[in-house]
Amino acid sequence: MTYAQTIWGMYVRWTTAWPALSAFAPFVPLIALWGFVVWLEIFPRVFLPGPFEVLQTSWSLLYKGILPAYLGDSLVRLAVGAAAGMALAIPLGIFIGLNQRAHDATWPVLLFFQAIGDIAWLPILLVWFGFGLTTMTFVIVYTVMFPVILNTVLGIRSARPELERAAQSLGASRTRILFEVTLPGALPNIITGLRNGLGYGWRALIAAEIIVGTSGIGFLMFDARRAGSVDEIVVGMIVLGILWYIVDSWILAPIERATGERWGLVTT
Amino acid sequence: MAERVAFSPVPYPRLRRTVKFMLPLMGLVVIWQLVVVIFDVNPRIFPDVPTVLRAGWGTIADGSLFSHVTASLWRVTVGTVLAILLAVPLGILMGVSRGVSSFLSPLFRFFSVLAGIAWIPIATLWFGYGFGAITFVIFNAVFFVVTYNTLLGVSTIPMPIRHAAASLGTSRWQLLKEVLVPGALPNIVTGIRTGMGFAWRGLIAAEMIATNTGLGYMLFLARDFYRTEVIVFAMIVIGIIWLVLDRLLLAPLERATVERWGMVQRS
Amino acid sequence: MKNLSLENLSKTYFDPYAGTTVNAVQDVSLNVDAGDFVAVVGPSGCGKTTILNMIAGFVPISGGRVLVGGKEVKGPGPDRGVVFQSFALFPWKTVAENVTFGPKMRGVGKAERAKIAQEYLALAGLSHAADRYPNELSGGMQQRVGVVRALANNPDVLLMDEPFASVDAQTRMTLQEELTRIWEERRPTIIFITHDVSEAVFLANRVVVLSKGNVLKEVDIDLPRPRSWDRLVEDGDFKALSNKVLQLVRSA
Repeated sequence: MTYAQTIWGMYVRWTTAWPALSAFAPFVPLIALWGFVVWLEIFPRVFLPGPFEVLQTSWSLLYKGILPAYLGDSLVRLAVGAAAGMALAIPLGIFIGLNQRAHDATWPVLLFFQAIGDIAWLPILLVWFGFGLTTMTFVIVYTVMFPVILNTVLGIRSARPELERAAQSLGASRTRILFEVTLPGALPNIITGLRNGLGYGWRALIAAEIIVGTSGIGFLMFDARRAGSVDEIVVGMIVLGILWYIVDSWILAPIERATGERWGLVTT
Repeated sequence: MAERVAFSPVPYPRLRRTVKFMLPLMGLVVIWQLVVVIFDVNPRIFPDVPTVLRAGWGTIADGSLFSHVTASLWRVTVGTVLAILLAVPLGILMGVSRGVSSFLSPLFRFFSVLAGIAWIPIATLWFGYGFGAITFVIFNAVFFVVTYNTLLGVSTIPMPIRHAAASLGTSRWQLLKEVLVPGALPNIVTGIRTGMGFAWRGLIAAEMIATNTGLGYMLFLARDFYRTEVIVFAMIVIGIIWLVLDRLLLAPLERATVERWGMVQRS
Repeated sequence: MKNLSLENLSKTYFDPYAGTTVNAVQDVSLNVDAGDFVAVVGPSGCGKTTILNMIAGFVPISGGRVLVGGKEVKGPGPDRGVVFQSFALFPWKTVAENVTFGPKMRGVGKAERAKIAQEYLALAGLSHAADRYPNELSGGMQQRVGVVRALANNPDVLLMDEPFASVDAQTRMTLQEELTRIWEERRPTIIFITHDVSEAVFLANRVVVLSKGNVLKEVDIDLPRPRSWDRLVEDGDFKALSNKVLQLVRSA
């Protein structure tokens, strides 16, 4: 008990000194457990590689330049798709959010297209565009678009009426109200939409790379699957996890905190 | 000071809402047909409405649609139910202790981020192509997201509420049953909805790769023969199933907890 | 500063649940002189907030007119500053940006706006909080911002809708004293809606008691100024006037 307390005390002291540490600490026992299970040889090595093998493989993939190149491909696709999706979705969402008629006419259609889901589009896209970049970009743009549109509309429509009244009685014109009041009010929702959209878009990218693939992390994993090299699959999964962890907690979450939370609009 | 006037409430509000929802979708079908006819679109690229309906009827008549749909739904049900049964108790167990939950939550965040599609390669390696691999992918998509959300839900129950329960004389078991589970319920339901969203997409992707039945397979098989009318039909079926599942089951469930108890709104 | 007058103001609306039309406000006529301070009290549902919303132009008028400085009011405008019960501060703007929102809408330049912010934040004792966000302030401080935000736009009339109803009792008394001080210094035309009788008597030159959409009675408050709670709380005249208004409200 006292050892456990000592270790816990160290953990608490160190994580208060370096908060980033708490994001890595729980992986230490997990990796130890993983190594232990592999050491027991319950599962054959071809099914479950050990931590050291995975480390070796990732080093060799890095060294050969495959991992950086594929990672770059995936990230560029995601960034291009996300940017294009947002550029389309935000203006559309603002328009639908402000216009009751447009809302009535398009809302069910939007829900339906969102429900079809990105991945179900792959077969017909393959018929249209073949195996290539167009297909993948289309899928990501599509995936990112819908959550952003839906959340933008929601954000605009849930604007607090008394804020618009306040702006009106301070002499703001309709355009000014849109830019000074309605849009900032919808921003937390837009960011939530973006976060969801990227979450889905990133999964769609993996699926597209697996199915369409000529390069990228998804392709790396599925190519490894064909060759039966399980350690490369695990490397791919770890890279994906870390990548998203970085994007989500170092880019998206801080933006959310800097806007919604500071303004007291979001509580989580 | 208030005088009565002739007033009739709107009749059949449910029906009206349904019609209002269906109308734009009908409009979409009309536009689709018009576009195909006016621009004389090659049916290989995009078929017209009657062709798709005929193809759809064909798959219904020979029973293939039914077997694909039931295969997909069965996988989703098994994977999701298993995942929820394991995830909720685990999440609550870990959430009860602040220390444990704050220590483990990055771990579960990491895995919930990986949820679904990223597991397809290794799942097919472990379980081979078929039911096992696909159910595993679905299980995964739901399990980590629900565990993480349950953990979050339990650990964010305000201390005053726990103190209030304690000072009202609740035992440990009662605390669990009366405070922790209901308190975490909105998060749990949100987790299930998010997780199932990932699972549904993961299912379609996995079925394209790793099986010989199911909606994803139906889509991919049709692609091999360039039967766009079957592809479009299957897409519509996928859209309708998810819309029904999400709007008529998950969203009302979420509304009943999250929104009713005064938490945030979602689309 | 200009005067505000209501001429036979009425509001009827249709209640879809009860299936009836309701006369929320009926033939209310009232004149507030330039630089006067009038409080409107009444039980909940007496139509006092509806009147304010009509003056502000937030809801359409069913009958009658609202005149500011002799000019009829159409819709919301910067001639009538509003202080809201819910504060209605812009959460994404700092305190200083909130206060200078009106001038910014008028196209006042940055340097000038900085001066305005300085002046009005000093007036409210908030100079130290200029760069904070509303969410980071207490309720009392938020409403101070709400009041000076309306004042900084130089409105002809200031409309206050139960502005101190959602702050704690001590803060409320401080805010009331600050408001009388600001009024005594700058003499804005104020119409102040409240359900708190002693608040109305403490602040105003005249208290209008509303009942069921009608003006029941107007009571002049001739208490000496400057007013402070330290003196008035035991003051016989204050007690008598409060009692009188309270009886009227309870009979309403």
